[in-house]
Amino acid sequence: MTGTRAALHRPGTVGETVRILAEAGDAELLAGGTDLVPALRAGTRRPRAIVALRRVLELRARGACAQALTIGAGVTYAELADWACAPGLAATARAVGSAQIRNAGTVGGALGSANPRGDLLTFLTAAGTDVLTCSARRGPRTAPLDDFLAGAPGRGRGELVTAIRVPRPRGPQVFLKIGGRQAAYPALVSCALVVDRAGGRVSCAIGGVASTPLRASEAESFAAAEIDWTSPGRDEAAWASVARRFGALVADAARAAPAQLPEGPRDPAAYRWHAAGVLAGRALARCFAGGDQEHGAPAEGGARMPHLRSSGGDQGHGESAEGGARMPHLRSSGGDQGPGESTEGRGR
Amino acid sequence: MTAVGTDTGAGSGGDVPVRRVLDRGSAARDDHADEDTDAGPVVQPYRLHVDGGLRTVAGAWLGDSLLTVLRERLGITSVKDGCEQGRCGSCSVLLDGQLVAACATLAADAADARVTTLAGLPADGLAPAVRAAFLRHGAVQCGFCTPGFVVAVTDLLGRRPQADEDEIREALAGNICRCTGYGRIIAAVRAVQADITSAGAEP
Ligand SMILES: Cc1cc2nc3c(=O)[nH]c(=O)nc-3n(C[C@H](O)[C@H](O)[C@H](O)COP(=O)(O)OP(=O)(O)OC[C@H]3O[C@@H](n4cnc5c(N)ncnc54)[C@H](O)[C@@H]3O)c2cc1C
Ligand code: FES
Ligand code: FES
Repeated sequence: MTGTRAALHRPGTVGETVRILAEAGDAELLAGGTDLVPALRAGTRRPRAIVALRRVLELRARGACAQALTIGAGVTYAELADWACAPGLAATARAVGSAQIRNAGTVGGALGSANPRGDLLTFLTAAGTDVLTCSARRGPRTAPLDDFLAGAPGRGRGELVTAIRVPRPRGPQVFLKIGGRQAAYPALVSCALVVDRAGGRVSCAIGGVASTPLRASEAESFAAAEIDWTSPGRDEAAWASVARRFGALVADAARAAPAQLPEGPRDPAAYRWHAAGVLAGRALARCFAGGDQEHGAPAEGGARMPHLRSSGGDQGHGESAEGGARMPHLRSSGGDQGPGESTEGRGR
Repeated sequence: MTAVGTDTGAGSGGDVPVRRVLDRGSAARDDHADEDTDAGPVVQPYRLHVDGGLRTVAGAWLGDSLLTVLRERLGITSVKDGCEQGRCGSCSVLLDGQLVAACATLAADAADARVTTLAGLPADGLAPAVRAAFLRHGAVQCGFCTPGFVVAVTDLLGRRPQADEDEIREALAGNICRCTGYGRIIAAVRAVQADITSAGAEP
């Protein structure tokens, strides 16, 4: 066996990891492998060295303090999926892939791949997230997710994501997505809505439209202004019209976003803008009116076998988490798996 | 390139002759070789704990997935190669007790984990009942998806013996079957559950 230069490194600590990364030059980090290993097989990535994080136990920690949740880069979707402190994150994690993917795929891998269709990125954008990184050259740093993602293409190798920090939920949170079979394909469009009742704010992020998740600030201010934060009881018809207007504003924001993703035969840009609006309107209705007035009763979730779908074709899917839930009451339902939702068909 | 793995093998599928079962992806490997003539991305020999035995893997490529190593180097062909993209579940195995797609797991990084394939599911656990139910209920047609399903179903029922049909379907969404239409598979799972309940035994 000549030339065993190619190497697998399996460090045990963050310090060791960043040192190896700095020394190894062309090295690829490996977490769960759900993105990287198929890419290695396909030959689309050919690192000379791989630095595997499986043994770095400090990356697997997660914790909660009064203000924020800190989640190590090595935490898997499956671990997030039953985390009661973070119902919105949990719902998002449950909407990812299959059991096999959720057991392996990690938060750090989602950030490392920075897939514009990544479900977690959409949710984290709405929630307002900081990314904690470490490199041998610059030591530990913290950056807002937007900055992290903006730097992603040119981000030097050698930077390890150690954790993310997300504010504690302070109101209802909903994640919805639409696309092909969830277990096999990323969503075409996803939408996360995060409500901060104490601060009177609504945050909405859309994934799958532009190269990074976009925020719909005009729609957010509209919703915040429409909501009576002190006594939110309001009749459902009124909510339906607010939700419709909200969705239209989100669709406008999607249309206006720079760096649109390339169109495919199955996802022309106009379809994505429309889907963004529909999902956002639905998400808002879920948060406040406790239902989906426009589209009838929520249907079953998406993570099913394909034959279940009467359409037999593409399916929408999504989940909501009413963390601290519907206005005005109910903190107790937080963490319950909301019903999934089928989205309307592809027809435009 | 030697395909190795015969040091133990007892009870771990080692009775299957070690040979190259499939050689898909060899083109990609040759590319590596061209690019990197004197330094092919070969890793140091490592050991894998597979189905209770310790197997040595030598001469493997850095990027080899656990699927590639199990099938092509260790001859464990119950782990099927359907898509190599984590999408079909036919390569489902347990890694330290967690259901994963072997094709999305780096083999060399599994070195200190326990890998369990169909053959390694404990004989005194649920697996024999799951296998029997699959046969009895016509949940096997061509059989290509079956090992992956049996691993996934055994994992599910071990953790969630009372899972309702929705939960079963959700848990099995990562396993694709092109023959049965799933109805027979669900019937088999329900039958195992019914047996567990009527036996009053905790799995
Ligand atoms: C069949 C299938 C279905 C999927 N479905 C979905 C879905 O529905 N929704 C969705 O959002 N995603 C989906 N994915 C994508 C995938 O599961 C996620 O992107 C996952 O989070 C990747 O994590 P990982 O740990 O497996 O990463 P890996 O594959 O190990 O790594 C991915 C990238 O991140 C880098 N990296 C890993 N850890 C770190 C770190 N700590 N710091 C810096 N960089 C790092 C790696 O170098 C690599 O470039 C799917 C994937 C598959 C194969
Ligand atoms: S071969 Fe691994 S999931 Fe298809
Ligand atoms: S029995 Fe043929 S794929 Fe399932």
